Amino acid sequence: MNTLKKLFEPFSVINRKTVLLLIVVETLIALAAWQFGAGALIPTPTRVLESLSKIVNDPNFSFWDNFMSSLWLTAKGMGISILIALMVSYLALIPVFRPVAHFIIKCRYLTLTGLIFVFTLLTQNGGQLKISLLVFGIVPFFVTSLLSIIENINRQEYDLCRTLRMNSWQTLWEVVIVGRFDQVFEVMRQNFAIAWMMITMVEGLSMSEGGLGTLLIKANKFIDLGGVMAILLVIFVLGIFFDFLLGTLRHWLFPYTKLETAK
Amino acid sequence: MNYVKNEIILSAENIHLSYDKKILREVNLQIKNIVRPDKADQGQVVSLIGRSGIGKTQLFKILAGLQKPSAGVVKIGADQHPVRPGEVGIVPQNYILFQHRTVQQNLEIALRQSGQKLDDKQVKQIIEENAENFHLREHLKKYPMQLSGGQRQRVSILQQVLAGNHFILFDEPFSGLDVLMIDRVLELLLKVSCMHDHNTLIIVSHDVENALAISDTAYILARQEGQEGATITETLDLLHMGLAWNPEIRKETRFQELVHQIKHKI
Repeated sequence: MNTLKKLFEPFSVINRKTVLLLIVVETLIALAAWQFGAGALIPTPTRVLESLSKIVNDPNFSFWDNFMSSLWLTAKGMGISILIALMVSYLALIPVFRPVAHFIIKCRYLTLTGLIFVFTLLTQNGGQLKISLLVFGIVPFFVTSLLSIIENINRQEYDLCRTLRMNSWQTLWEVVIVGRFDQVFEVMRQNFAIAWMMITMVEGLSMSEGGLGTLLIKANKFIDLGGVMAILLVIFVLGIFFDFLLGTLRHWLFPYTKLETAK
Repeated sequence: MNYVKNEIILSAENIHLSYDKKILREVNLQIKNIVRPDKADQGQVVSLIGRSGIGKTQLFKILAGLQKPSAGVVKIGADQHPVRPGEVGIVPQNYILFQHRTVQQNLEIALRQSGQKLDDKQVKQIIEENAENFHLREHLKKYPMQLSGGQRQRVSILQQVLAGNHFILFDEPFSGLDVLMIDRVLELLLKVSCMHDHNTLIIVSHDVENALAISDTAYILARQEGQEGATITETLDLLHMGLAWNPEIRKETRFQELVHQIKHKI
């Protein structure tokens, strides 16, 4: 009874087992509501699962090829974007490069749709076009998050370096680059959703190379709502998996990120 | 007491600091090299005592060369050159350390910045010996986040010692510590001051009794009536007064009377 009361009280602390139970129960309620309240137009969970099974097993959909194509594009896009974003963010600490970094941050207001033509002219094939658009779309968001981390560094850390007679390059290395490298993974995690949104969009621009975005556009075109929901489900699960993977990698590579302060 | 006060080793000349209002006004102090013929290794402890919010932390940063005053200069060394960052070590109130480094690595960075040419074996040996002295040996592999406040404070102090700083500023070293811990910190500060005759510890604190108990000299930072900004209102030469270098000083009535007086003045 006490535990039940706690569930409805602000700031209550509940144990891990109860949290898991809550997730399971709430998921079941949501699925049941979806199953029995979907109506005729919206596909029910069972129909979505049937569509998913069809997409995965039907050779006409080449699901795994499309899946791997999207996965490769994501990895490549994220990798290139984070490298560029890191370089821009670190260079932003050098006054001469600061205006460039701030301009890149503002570029997040530019819509990709308006730039497709320009990028088509600048690139040589569909693959390059997709990567270029993806990188151009993600980098401003990465730089925004990375600069926010850098700006929030406690001034006393820089003071510590100065009292230890470190020069400005050593300080940059110790406090900003090495000291905040774990947070790069957090930035990737937080911005992964934006990346996924863009991947499905850019994949529609060059459909010959396939991808989950291509499958999604095709399913939409044929008003295959079950198929659309099934592909969305795959993207959703993949997103959660990457979220978990990046979080686990962060804790594994930087063990101090999972430590708690001693009492 | 057998001692000689020689050349000036640190001085603050006419320090002013203003933002939208005046924080510090005409702060002048001189720290002289105290030599004890009977105890060659003893350095000294100087206190800057003032109540909270008076501008102690700003003066702390100015003395360390981390902040430029609006006017005036802090000079250091026998040649009295203007202080540069890195010539005065700091132990901030929240014991800032590199959170992504273990205690051992934090100390290694400091030692390698000391300018000594040491190989890996020597670095390891020096760190282990000092960690033993500071009761940190068993914590060398831990990250700062795994340490208690007292342990972090010890790492922070040792880091500055290993960096080769003879002048170390402490911002409120007794703040938030229980009585037992305060005694340990006092012991540790005295230990550090006795590691080298050039070691000069400058304690910035509002804790009158503890600061006075280990100091050779104390400066009172306070506001004067009708004047904006804090300044040094009193200098206490505790050596001259016969109230220094005595572990049992708290038991003396004269000392308790002095503490009582100063508490009313700040």
